[in-house]
Amino acid sequence: MEQVIANGLYLGAQYALIALGLTLIFALMNVLNFAHGQMYVLGGFVTYVIYGQLGLPFVVALIASAITLAAVGALIEIYLFRPVIRKSHREESTMLLAAAIAFFLDAVILLLFGEKQRGVPKILDGVLNWDFRIIMPYDRIAIGVLAILIIAAFILYMQYSKTGRAMRALAQDRVAAQLMGVQVDRYSMIGFAIGAMLAGVVGGLLVTITGVNSGIGGPISIKAFMMVMIGGAGVVSGAIAGGFILGMAESVGLTVFSGYGDVTYLIIFASLMVFLAIRPQGLMGKPWG
Amino acid sequence: MDSLLNFSNAELHYDHVHALRGVSLNINEGETVALIGANGAGKTSILRAITGLHPISSGQVHYKGERIDGMPPHKLVEMGIAMVPEGRRVFPFMSVKDNLLMGAFSRSDSKQEVKATLDSVLTRFPRLKERYKQAAGTLSGGEQQMMVIGRALMAKPTLLLLDEPSLGIAPKLVQDIARSIVAINRDEKVSVLLVEQNSRMALRISHRAYAMTTGEVVLQGDSKDLLQDDRVKALYLGGEI
Repeated sequence: MEQVIANGLYLGAQYALIALGLTLIFALMNVLNFAHGQMYVLGGFVTYVIYGQLGLPFVVALIASAITLAAVGALIEIYLFRPVIRKSHREESTMLLAAAIAFFLDAVILLLFGEKQRGVPKILDGVLNWDFRIIMPYDRIAIGVLAILIIAAFILYMQYSKTGRAMRALAQDRVAAQLMGVQVDRYSMIGFAIGAMLAGVVGGLLVTITGVNSGIGGPISIKAFMMVMIGGAGVVSGAIAGGFILGMAESVGLTVFSGYGDVTYLIIFASLMVFLAIRPQGLMGKPWG
Repeated sequence: MDSLLNFSNAELHYDHVHALRGVSLNINEGETVALIGANGAGKTSILRAITGLHPISSGQVHYKGERIDGMPPHKLVEMGIAMVPEGRRVFPFMSVKDNLLMGAFSRSDSKQEVKATLDSVLTRFPRLKERYKQAAGTLSGGEQQMMVIGRALMAKPTLLLLDEPSLGIAPKLVQDIARSIVAINRDEKVSVLLVEQNSRMALRISHRAYAMTTGEVVLQGDSKDLLQDDRVKALYLGGEI
């Protein structure tokens, strides 16, 4: 039991970080970033190269993942989403653009890093064994704790910094935010960069545990969208709730249904459909707009 | 009195709608000017043009002697133009405190000075102090209206634009809001442009007024004269006076 909860928390923290990035972008720009999983993969490969291949410290690699993806996110916003949003008021325009970016990043990643599964040396050796109730390698604990710290830092930043407040204002009422002097372009760019950065950071964190390969962008995006569906789009608390719920469901499912083959995600998908039919806005989502 | 804001011959279009047809109007420093007229007369379009939310298609807008049409909203806020939009537009999931702090977003002076403005806003609207940590979406309509006026004051504006502050507010609170508009104009030396469908209230608390129909200014003058004007009575005040 304790083991299942510990695994769920560890997974949930990673998932929540992925969902936070996706939901931030959606809240600010009304853009569904289908390329979120690819950004995760790119972050994973940056850490793989810097920590795994060049042998620099893991922290340096993680920061490099963050900076690279923040830059990629900012460039994508400035040169792709901004002109499209300016010209088209139709929501499918940005969705199709996001899908195109996902395909493009998939191709670039495949070209640069090949199709092989890549792993890196463990960041910590040893295993925690608490009375055989919880057995967990130290590196997983470290990665889980790091993820939770980053979530906390993100929440504090959004809650108390001037930039964070401006982004919340922009998400809640675009016109009013403009009247307060918030520059929509600038803060959309910052938000997109932070969203992409969060995806890249999780990629960097998880490459130390599960490795990375160029094909997992799509599946990661799907998981990110599921979390946002569970928690509600555009709401920070919803992304966190969705992340931990999916992490926990996966952890419980893998234990409970281990005798029935690979059915965990089948059951999660089915439950999600029923849930969405009853509550389409998700747990914390706004029923309007 | 010096001219603070001058609108000359402004035209404004939304796609196929011709919303302003050669509108000229003037606001002097320290004045409260009312803009009255029915729905769709173009009152809000004037405010949207002043704040840069929607550009005018021809004509000129001058503020403090500088030409401002074509400038983006954030520049205009920095120059001292603050707007209370129609329908209040609070940030519903942010606390009253954070809403008010957003009002000071474009200010570049020190935290102490922002704090001083915050204190004066809370003194003016004590209800906001009681609701300080509450999410703005949970306030009543009247409280929200006070909050967004306070939010605009946080920018330390020279010109305050108010779009329908009495809309959807309990009649008793409309009095309070009218009184605070008068007080703000008097105490803070803020010029006010008040857009209202409640013409009687607007004319009572303003120095001068413009009346609009379908994108044009049809009448202008001192508010106390317009209150007695038969055409205004017929058009906007009903037969009640």
